[in-house]
Amino acid sequence: MKLSARIAAPAAALVLAGLTATGCAPQTSDTGAKRDEKTGTLRVWLFQEVGNKPKEQVVDAAVADFEKAHKGAKVEIEYIPVDTRAQRIEAAFNDPKSAPDLIEYGNTDTAGYVRDGGLADVSAEFAAWDEAEETDPAAEQSVTVGGKVYGAPLFVGVRALYYRTDVFEELGIGAPKTQAELISTARKIHKKKPDLYGLAVGGAYTYGAMPFIWAAGGELADENSGTYKAAVNSAEARKGIEAYTSLFGDDNCPAAKCAAMGGNATVTAFASGKAAMAIGGDFSHAAVEAGPVKGKYAVVPLPGVAEGSVAPAFAGGNNIGVLKSSSHRTLAVDLMKSLAGKQTQAKMFDAMGFLPTYTDVRAAAAKKEPFVEPFVKTLGAGAKSVPASPGWGRIDSSLILPTMFQEIVSGRKDVATASDDAAKKMDAAFADAG
Amino acid sequence: MTANSTTNKAPGASRAGGTFACPPRRRPPAPSARRSGWTPWLYLLPALVLLGGLLVYPICQLGLISFLEYTQAQVSGGEPTTFQGLGNYAALFGDSQFRQVLLTTVVFAAACVLATLLVGCALAVLLTRVRALPRLVLMLAALGAWATPAITGSTVWVFLFDPDFGPVNRALGLGDFSWTYGRYSAFALVLLEVLWCSFPFVMVTVYAGIRAIPTEVLEAAALDGASQWQIWRSVMAPMLRPILVVVTIQSIIWDFKVFTQIYVMTSGGGIAGQNLVLNVYAYQKAFASSEYGLGSAIGVVMLVILLAVTLVHLRLVQRQGEDL
Amino acid sequence: MSARTMLRIRRPGRTAAEAAALLIAAAVAFPLYWMVLSALKPAGEIQSTEPRPWTASPSLDSFRRVFEQNDFGRYFLNSLLVAGTVVVASALVAFLAATAVTRFRFRFRTTLLIMFLVAQMVPVEALTIPLFFLMRDFGQLNTLGSLILPHLAFSLPFAIWMLRGFVKAVPEALEEAAYIDGASRTRFLWQILFPLVLPGLVATSVFSFISTWNDFLFAKSFIISDTSRSTLPMALLVFFKPDENDWGGIMAASTVMTIPVLVFFVLVQRRLVSGLGGAVKD
Repeated sequence: MKLSARIAAPAAALVLAGLTATGCAPQTSDTGAKRDEKTGTLRVWLFQEVGNKPKEQVVDAAVADFEKAHKGAKVEIEYIPVDTRAQRIEAAFNDPKSAPDLIEYGNTDTAGYVRDGGLADVSAEFAAWDEAEETDPAAEQSVTVGGKVYGAPLFVGVRALYYRTDVFEELGIGAPKTQAELISTARKIHKKKPDLYGLAVGGAYTYGAMPFIWAAGGELADENSGTYKAAVNSAEARKGIEAYTSLFGDDNCPAAKCAAMGGNATVTAFASGKAAMAIGGDFSHAAVEAGPVKGKYAVVPLPGVAEGSVAPAFAGGNNIGVLKSSSHRTLAVDLMKSLAGKQTQAKMFDAMGFLPTYTDVRAAAAKKEPFVEPFVKTLGAGAKSVPASPGWGRIDSSLILPTMFQEIVSGRKDVATASDDAAKKMDAAFADAG
Repeated sequence: MTANSTTNKAPGASRAGGTFACPPRRRPPAPSARRSGWTPWLYLLPALVLLGGLLVYPICQLGLISFLEYTQAQVSGGEPTTFQGLGNYAALFGDSQFRQVLLTTVVFAAACVLATLLVGCALAVLLTRVRALPRLVLMLAALGAWATPAITGSTVWVFLFDPDFGPVNRALGLGDFSWTYGRYSAFALVLLEVLWCSFPFVMVTVYAGIRAIPTEVLEAAALDGASQWQIWRSVMAPMLRPILVVVTIQSIIWDFKVFTQIYVMTSGGGIAGQNLVLNVYAYQKAFASSEYGLGSAIGVVMLVILLAVTLVHLRLVQRQGEDL
Repeated sequence: MSARTMLRIRRPGRTAAEAAALLIAAAVAFPLYWMVLSALKPAGEIQSTEPRPWTASPSLDSFRRVFEQNDFGRYFLNSLLVAGTVVVASALVAFLAATAVTRFRFRFRTTLLIMFLVAQMVPVEALTIPLFFLMRDFGQLNTLGSLILPHLAFSLPFAIWMLRGFVKAVPEALEEAAYIDGASRTRFLWQILFPLVLPGLVATSVFSFISTWNDFLFAKSFIISDTSRSTLPMALLVFFKPDENDWGGIMAASTVMTIPVLVFFVLVQRRLVSGLGGAVKD
């Protein structure tokens, strides 16, 4: 039996089929919606936060009101993990039929999602919405691309330094005033109390690391008339990276544990009493309050390099937007207004500590709850954001910066090499994004 | 040996149901094979339609996409799809990370295959040397491991080796040693899990094969005072060759494609991507970074490698002269 | 039986061998034991830094949490439905195809067989990308069909190969006799051949059942937003939370997910072992 001859044919056929047949190119998805139904089910994706329960309650209340006001409309909420959101959301952009109607998204995602054609332009509705007038300009900027509005800001996220007052008192130390002091304090605490991380840091906690880069005078990328060039390998940025990664080690936060941690994990470590300090957001407030350290902690702005200065924080925050593919546009926009409206934001602040995006609501909140003061102060000192390039989404989802930090703290590469490699990958992403 | 060596590509597939009984010599066509016209094609139709639509067609798409610049922007129609030629492949092989992942995958798969075969064969021999009760116990335990879905298996193993709550570190006195932090310890952990869930297949198949060896042969060898190793080396292994080929090939295919274990146990590829293997890498590229073109090119590379393994397999089959 | 005869030869090392066998069995079974144990432990004991290999007060809380909170029952049914459909459909389609390639001679027969063999090697995972677009273009994303169809296709080549041996084993004289008795081809196929090959079908189904039941990649990629179509592996991931993994829940869910496969294995165990070892002729 002449097998070899017969083997070749099907094997070649299988491979060649792919090369020759051009008829099987996948179609591009038409993300535009054709209909605007006034009844039916609205699917909503929101982020799953640390200690998600209070958020669910506020959302449920808003949804109940919404359903009462809109006969025949039903709302299905799903809470999706933040870390893997990119996969879910981009898959949804690819298939309008199974996509949700409304999504929560990070303000760093805006440019990328708009370029991918996923979000609907709601400029007209936003302009006509009276509540939107008090929106903080920075927050409004975070939903705007090329002068068009693609959603409504949901909350402002800014991070500051949480620390354990009981531990500090016991050791007779005060809140650190400079970055150098922060680092030495962290080590001192871990030495005295080996069970505690001095300052909980995470190799995948990019937003916790950025202030170190900015405080050292570095930038993630430099903009030159609309095009970006990575700057994480500049001398200043490297100094910041050096400072942040110096916190990983047996004298503070053992790399074996901390290299894999992300922002949520560091907050959890603090909330469960395993860390004396952590860089946490206003939005982490509820989670910390729910843990055993309630009443035993305080918050100050993260110190910068010079005494008394504040390290520029990452101006984070989430938005909520309607998908272009939604077949319930009117309903979805209404629900967006309800979820991002003043009333819900005020409640969300009470429940989760999310800083409102409306200047008046935020002022009222600050009056009511003194804990927001350090966050407002941090914002006032000048918060910074990530490059507003559509390429950022890919930089984020392909974990370029976490990989860089992890390579350094695990000792695989030195700061110079790791930052050069990261810069190269970032430049590729910027270039592809055009 | 040729007469009996019905090499089964499917584990045990063709040996099932007694190919030994009717040695596949050049036998005249089956009686029903009187010029049957369209009947066989009618019977084959559902299978061919399914395979054509869901296997051949996607493979052709995969090949096509791998030549395109195809990212999120193209999928949603924001930017035109452009033909890249070998651009994706050039980018891939120019990327040191990819080359490293490729190497890692090959080495890791080789280690898994080797470990699985060694353990599986050793235990198969062990099974022949014990009485019914211990044999049943070991067999049941192995079937349990085999039956465990990869995702639950991975989860349980991660929990067993958890630095804080796991019994393993406690029992070994390792304190809070984190298995997933170091590259090699993480791979070792995954290897253990892969070994755990794939040795039973080898063990059961080889054991069944050993039972098929005429008793007299083994008895004679034992009476001659041959050691267990000698018996294996010079009596069993040669007779089991066809079966060993099958389990080896099957193991290579399975271990080369490991996805769930790495994805779950090292949370998507480990610290700084240190535990990435091809399958996970392709997934991350395609679905996390939305670079479908690049992801497809990785898929094609995998396909080509596995096709090569298949061709080797077919050659071996051919040498054993099996009647298809 | 050959193996048993072997044992009659006195071997000094047998006790040692048996001890080793039992020890290894214990080690192999340990992860499963720990899974069930952790699922039964009360909340405080699971996250204890002093894990004990037993529990004084078993509780079903974790199981209750699994079934109540997360629509788990529905995921379970979805998984059963998907796996069940694939098993039955692939058995039928493969039976027909295996009959065609073993009991007929026709052009391209060998080529086809080799095609099936090659198809077996195709890494399913590599095809996730094109399958995603295929399912999308046919509007199948978010449906159970998007899970059933690919698994059906991927389980076929293997099933056909496996069944081939079983179909071949049915004596050709039987077929002759059936035709002489005036049976039609269809009648022979379904009323004579099918029952005889049934044991083989069962052994085959183990593989299609497992690969479908375990699937994680397709479920993750194709069920985009409709959680009511999720299958068990996805449900398991729900228990991995950003704040704290609910290990009790994870272990209980894992147990629930493993049991059907175990049951399936035990049911077909004898067929499986003899099917794999196959033609042990005595």
